[in-house]
Amino acid sequence: MKLTCTQEKFKKAILNSERVVSKQNTLPILNNILFETENGVLKISATNLEIGISKQIGAKIEKEGKITIPAKLISNFINNLPSGENINIEVDNQNLKIKSGTSKAIIKGLMADDFPLLPRKNSDYILTLSSIKLKNIINKVISCVAFNETRQELTGINLIFKENELYFASTDSFRLVENKFLLEEGNIKDGYLDFISKKDSIIIPANTLSEIARIINSEIDEEINIAIEDGQIFFEINGVNIVSRLINGKYPEYKHIMPKEFQTRVVGEKSTIQGAIKMSSVFSKTKNSEIVFKIDSEAEKFFIEARSVECGENSTELMVDIVGPSQEVVFNSKYLLDGINIIGTGKVAILLNNESSPVAIKEINEKTGEVLDEYIYIVMPIKG
Amino acid sequence: MTNEELWRAALGEIELSISKANFITWFKNTSILSSENGRVVIGVPNGFAKEWLENKYNLYILKALRNTQNNIREVVCSIKTSDDTSFSENRVDAIQPPKKIILNKPLIKKTLTISQENNLNPKYTFENFIVGSSNELAKAACYAVSQNLGRIYNPLFIYGGVGLGKTHLLQSIGNEILQKNPSRKVKYITSERFTSELIDSIRTQKVNDFKEHYQKIDLLIIDDVQFLSGKEKTQEEFFHIFNYLYQLNKQIVLSSDRAPKAIPTLEERLRSRFEGGMIADVSKADFETRMAILSKKSRDENFNIPSETLSFIAENITNNIRELEGAFNRVMVSSQLSGKEPSLEYVSTLLSELITSGKKKGINHKHIINIVSSFYDINPNDLIIKNRKKEVVKPRQIAMYLMRSELEYSFPGIGEKLGGRDHTTTIHACNKITRELKNNDKLIEEITLIKERLYKIT
Repeated sequence: MKLTCTQEKFKKAILNSERVVSKQNTLPILNNILFETENGVLKISATNLEIGISKQIGAKIEKEGKITIPAKLISNFINNLPSGENINIEVDNQNLKIKSGTSKAIIKGLMADDFPLLPRKNSDYILTLSSIKLKNIINKVISCVAFNETRQELTGINLIFKENELYFASTDSFRLVENKFLLEEGNIKDGYLDFISKKDSIIIPANTLSEIARIINSEIDEEINIAIEDGQIFFEINGVNIVSRLINGKYPEYKHIMPKEFQTRVVGEKSTIQGAIKMSSVFSKTKNSEIVFKIDSEAEKFFIEARSVECGENSTELMVDIVGPSQEVVFNSKYLLDGINIIGTGKVAILLNNESSPVAIKEINEKTGEVLDEYIYIVMPIKG
Repeated sequence: MTNEELWRAALGEIELSISKANFITWFKNTSILSSENGRVVIGVPNGFAKEWLENKYNLYILKALRNTQNNIREVVCSIKTSDDTSFSENRVDAIQPPKKIILNKPLIKKTLTISQENNLNPKYTFENFIVGSSNELAKAACYAVSQNLGRIYNPLFIYGGVGLGKTHLLQSIGNEILQKNPSRKVKYITSERFTSELIDSIRTQKVNDFKEHYQKIDLLIIDDVQFLSGKEKTQEEFFHIFNYLYQLNKQIVLSSDRAPKAIPTLEERLRSRFEGGMIADVSKADFETRMAILSKKSRDENFNIPSETLSFIAENITNNIRELEGAFNRVMVSSQLSGKEPSLEYVSTLLSELITSGKKKGINHKHIINIVSSFYDINPNDLIIKNRKKEVVKPRQIAMYLMRSELEYSFPGIGEKLGGRDHTTTIHACNKITRELKNNDKLIEEITLIKERLYKIT
């Protein structure tokens, strides 16, 4: 193998791949990145057997071939290269000779034949989504994913397919977040309706989606293509192909938990509510870090309070709009804060029924003042 | 042969031909899904394994399978997507409310907490201290001190045997002071704690903080000062703190199990200072006091007990109040557990062990002879043979006294054990020692030490 390519493309491909490479593995070759030439392009692949990623970059190929190189080593080398110069690569006897400007390196590699084969896509893409929209949604729903591996299905994000919309949802059994993605023309490909008639819900590992969110460039809106097969999902974004396993199992039903109506609505500035909750949580020393919302609808007053035996108490009065009857509800401040932190609008709506039923956090359209329904964060109050 | 057995046999063979890492990576969680007409479908957990098994290990698998069943012609892989719906659906709801954690209330009742700052236990007060002839002087002195802090009886020194109420009196002073004026700085500390705090402060090089802390105190109570004996550096620091507080007319109260004179290796200047204030002793409670204590306790605990039973306990447990309370608690708990009336018979069987075991168990005259002779560094035979040397006479008399007081031997019996002496000799010896004990502190100390050695044997 002998080729020349631009440093910029090469670097980006290496950095995208390197993150996937797992830290500890029984198979040493999984620590490596695969370089191979294929139909006049250089293909760079990496996998940890849960997710596989490959990127094709244009290159001037003099001699075909393939090799695998330790990911850590090559990424550290590339990271420290002075930018600008093109990169020359040559494989010689299981060694990769790499040269850029005045720097050069010889890296010991492993046989490419032992590198796992990335699963090939056998079906057509069924969805084409806006990458930036998807990235926003991933960043919102990933906050509730459970880290505990006793319930496998909760370590992923539930994707529910409907005819006109997608629902992304996650929960760690204490709170739940759901984000709606309205499907427009152009989003749906031919096979979509056919597919959802057979399967309307999948669970994607949280790691896969966070990797995709990282690969998506937040400045340029691109198209992201999605195909789903038995037990695996394929993404394609701007020449980067990602394949991931899906989590087996059934995601818990959650729709019935979300209240249809709410009695009390509080609308306020996101930043002030955030600040007040953070302040109160300092005074709450229990494991749940309990804080109390006191909503007095007659006096039009809203207090966030916390107290503890050890350190004292705190109360903040906030300027908010209150609709509906008075409420007094106890929350876990951390869960509440998570829900408010990821809100994309400047104002936030908190919707309540009583001290023991689920509470919702939603976004507010800043121009019209309407409550938006795309994003909904549900948290249970702490029972007194 | 079932699919499972077939696959197990095949895996056993494959394992031998590929590396362990490869085997674990690729064959974990695989199984045969179906085997029909020579076509075997292998279930794999993910697409990577599917690709790998189909493309790289296909031949291995086929060969291994054919070794067991030679009609197999084709192997394909399929990703397992078994959603065990039945198993998932009866799971709990997606989200549940977190449980409220009850704010951490103090586990012990407030009234019984021991203050960290002054180490006082609020349960000790003058009100619940029972006064008898044996302790009325000490109680009066302590009460007087609590009313006039630092102006009379400074320092106050209380001494007496274990379990006679010294700590109770000492803590009562502190509690009384705090009740009247909570802003007063009171510190109750045992001399042992004092020593270890001093050692800590020396190690962390904060001796000055240590001194300053003690110099701010209005009432310093040190329990069990006899343990200061032999600790010279502690005695020195204590001396300075003592002097400082004394000059500012701050009250100091001390307790010990013996009089200042009788504490060995206590520096002279400390001893004289301890003796400079008021010394009061607490001696063994008399029968009436013990009865009063028991009847108060039965009232407090709301436990009905016949007065003859109480007097039985009071008559038999004479050594110290702590033992008395222990015996009472034992009677109370076992009678409540067994549901029996605390009658005289029941109590006497219950306490029989406690009473007879007393302290005489396992000791006989030989022990006493050996201990006494080794204490005075003489030959045990010298005690027995006829010999009126002064250095032998006294130990012999002490041995006689101990045999009488500890073993309750008869006077003639004692004479017989010590070389066939006449019983009048024994009577004289016992009387002499008993008389001398009243005003000879050195003798008290010696007898205490001998007793200590004596009871170590058992």
